[in-house]
Amino acid sequence: MNRSMIRYILGMVLAVEGLLLLPVCLAALYYHEREGLYYLWTAIPSLAAGALLVRKKPESTVFYLKEGCVSTALSWILLSLIGCLPLWISGEIPSFSDALFETISGFTTTGASVVPSVEALSHCALLWRSLTHWIGGMGVLVFLLAVVPMSGGSHMNLMRAESPGPSVGKLVPRVKSTARILYLIYIGMTLLELILLKLGRMPTFDAVCITMGTAGTGGFGIKSDSLASYSVYIQWVVSIFMLLFAINFNLYYLLLLKRVKDALSMEEVRHFLGIVGAAVLVVFVDILHHCAGAFDALTKALFQVSSIISSTGFATADFNLWPPVSRCVLVLLMFVGACAGSTGGGIKVSRIVILLKAISKEFHSYIHPHSVRRVKMDGKPLDDYMLRSTGVYFATYMLMFAASFFLVTLEGRDAVTGFTAVAATFNNIGPGLEAVGPAANYGGLSLLSKWVLMFDMLAGRLEIFPMLILFHPTIWKEALESRRKRLKKQ
Amino acid sequence: MLGIQKEAPKGLKIIIVGCGKVGSTLVEQLAREGHDITVVDKRTDKLQELTAQYDVMGIEGNGASYSIQKEAGVDKADLMIAVTDSDELNLLCCTVAKRSGNCAAIARVRTPDYSREIGYLREKLGLAMVINPELESASEAARILFLPTALEVDSFAHGQAELIKIKIPEGNILDGMTLAELGRRISQDILICAAERDGHVTIPRGSFTLRAGDMISFSATRSVAKQFLSDIGFKTDQVRSTMIIGGGKSAYYLAQQLLNVGIAVKIIEINRARCEELSVLLPKAVIINGDGTDEGLLREEGIDRVDSVVALTGIDEENILLTLYVKRVSQAKLITKINRITFREVITNLDLGSVIYPKYITAEAIVRYVRGKKNSMDNNNIESLYHIFEQRAEAIEFHIDGVSDVTGRPLMELPLKDELLVSSIYRDGKVRIPSGQDVILPGDTVMIVTTHTGLNDIRDILI
Repeated sequence: MNRSMIRYILGMVLAVEGLLLLPVCLAALYYHEREGLYYLWTAIPSLAAGALLVRKKPESTVFYLKEGCVSTALSWILLSLIGCLPLWISGEIPSFSDALFETISGFTTTGASVVPSVEALSHCALLWRSLTHWIGGMGVLVFLLAVVPMSGGSHMNLMRAESPGPSVGKLVPRVKSTARILYLIYIGMTLLELILLKLGRMPTFDAVCITMGTAGTGGFGIKSDSLASYSVYIQWVVSIFMLLFAINFNLYYLLLLKRVKDALSMEEVRHFLGIVGAAVLVVFVDILHHCAGAFDALTKALFQVSSIISSTGFATADFNLWPPVSRCVLVLLMFVGACAGSTGGGIKVSRIVILLKAISKEFHSYIHPHSVRRVKMDGKPLDDYMLRSTGVYFATYMLMFAASFFLVTLEGRDAVTGFTAVAATFNNIGPGLEAVGPAANYGGLSLLSKWVLMFDMLAGRLEIFPMLILFHPTIWKEALESRRKRLKKQ
Repeated sequence: MLGIQKEAPKGLKIIIVGCGKVGSTLVEQLAREGHDITVVDKRTDKLQELTAQYDVMGIEGNGASYSIQKEAGVDKADLMIAVTDSDELNLLCCTVAKRSGNCAAIARVRTPDYSREIGYLREKLGLAMVINPELESASEAARILFLPTALEVDSFAHGQAELIKIKIPEGNILDGMTLAELGRRISQDILICAAERDGHVTIPRGSFTLRAGDMISFSATRSVAKQFLSDIGFKTDQVRSTMIIGGGKSAYYLAQQLLNVGIAVKIIEINRARCEELSVLLPKAVIINGDGTDEGLLREEGIDRVDSVVALTGIDEENILLTLYVKRVSQAKLITKINRITFREVITNLDLGSVIYPKYITAEAIVRYVRGKKNSMDNNNIESLYHIFEQRAEAIEFHIDGVSDVTGRPLMELPLKDELLVSSIYRDGKVRIPSGQDVILPGDTVMIVTTHTGLNDIRDILI
């Protein structure tokens, strides 16, 4: 295994994190908050450590998918460990586990919080939480790919490990340009939402935080009631942008190229919008008599459906109190998730579509045992490898879900709490139902549950395998072996 | 990787159709030079292999179809290179691309039927370049056979200068001589450009001591090169007879070139029908129908008496074994064609003599064109480019059009990169081997030998 290359990438990640912490320090100056010092004290050492690690160029640049996965997983763990330090040291979140939970929840764009009263947090902490959403949404390694000059072809392995979805296509021949285009679209849409929120007379600090939370499909609010106290206009803007950020970014690229026809015929997006439409209709009808009129019901239904399916997790109402059908629909949407190639989480619409098509193919082969039928997506036949890997992904997902569910119920709460806590973290949503519902938080869970959920959040964001591969004996053997060899040489 | 290399300047947008041997080699080389590459092929597995290994985009489908070309971005592409197995498909690809986009097109055309009409095809279809790997490798083999003591011969400065690779044998007078001594005692007019020892290629300085077993490349004008070789005790006559084993397309092209200068050619081919075709095409050659790997047949046909043997069968392993066998039984000059296999270090260690790699020859020709095209916006133009020592060093010829940092100053004062040498200057129809006092002037053609890859501009020779 190419350890020197992994070290180099981790160094870059540290440096990027150091830079990310700096705007928080500026905000601290503006709001005269002493907490800013802790951010500065974290930023400087991580910049220095990053620079130190990057100074020595890697001996070899050979880089395979294995290294891509390992360095992605390690990068995310490192990001979270460093990112939680200011929250922990400043005492705003006194327990280390809680601070780490909050940070992982931020970077993985989950938005599950352990903080009982968000209003008590400093501006620094609020801004930092939202910033982690923003960078975690598109991915820190994709960011590295976009800004750091590089050569060689193996970087696709980094992008493949970090980007959501069953397959990662390039928009243009080079990874670097692809990563740049993605970030430019991302930044453009973020600015657009910011402007629209400002037009709704939202305070600037709130607008910045909420925009970053939406863009990364994160869901950390800056008020305990999430978005319930903002105007209807703001709620609509946020609803629509949550959906926009949950759509495959390839669509925006096609639109930029003026290939409108190709953009509109993207199968995954059409299914996604279909699911959203159906879900909104069901929830709307179901909650109609709980709300103050049809428009209010529509606003709430649309907001909550967008929020859950895009894996954001903002709330304008305590949907824990909604009738069972709506609660059920929302929980199901948690699993569906956003489109591949977006900033959202979940199983992804494209995987669901592929699975459904595979099922229909299976039916077909029962009726006509000798028939030949290729499963198609976007008019192109899918190869068997893709079908198989989607199936395996789904099976692994279910197994991990079952294991986490069991571990979380050990603390003796009701099954709905345990089930939705795992569903809401594994799919990077945020709030679940009952004890982890939108009006409550994750602070009351036991230590074991918190660590299980932290692992779930990372595994969910990186699509399971890059995270699990860290535990594969071969990886350990190789990592230890190369160290032993080096010691021998010395 | 990350930050190790300087960021490549903006590359060309290139579409490559077909990822066989030549296609993959092209992807490897052009991707390294920082171009935006899209590969089109019908085989998904091949595409996946390439896209996993290099920073390129793959599109599955028939490269000659308009919709696939559009998906590959033909309307914005600078260059279309068609290198599938089929000549007709390649020509169709380029024709479609010329009509639908505004790009230059390069096609690989191998069949002798078309290659005779290459000028016509190029003009009528508006192709930038037509490449024929078989013909190119045959020409390379022929150049070596004309000067059989050399391992490789590349020509420069419109054929006036040559870059010749030789191996220093045991007991040669060069053994133990430094380059400075060589200049004083034997010849001032040759320049050792690169040397390989124990698998490592360097651009040697004056203090470098030559040893038996070193491979060296030197540049000189044609007549000086012959004189130098005979001074150090090498034979310089061209071969009188050649036995070609394997009667494919390149055998045909080679035989034709050799027969033209009066070298006797014998071709051994296993396929009877092909033998008959060859006997019609090459009436002066002796065509033998038989298995070229049959020891008895080779002896019967006088393998131990022939001047030179060229192994051109379609199977690399057979070619290598044949060469190793002939080396044992005769003193003949040996040339081996290697098409596919990539264990270059092993092949170098086998000491096969001259080895020809058609896929690299083709890729080289295209890379030369691409670098030239990229520079056509600037002042400097690459006239020719050769990879020497199995791609571990490059010899590049630049035409100097304008005044720049490198012109008008004595070479010794220029801050040149390490492992880089200005090996000849072509001025007013004459080639000069430069010393430290020489200057580069606008209008010159300058040859650079270096182990750095990807030099695009003459100014790149400076630190």
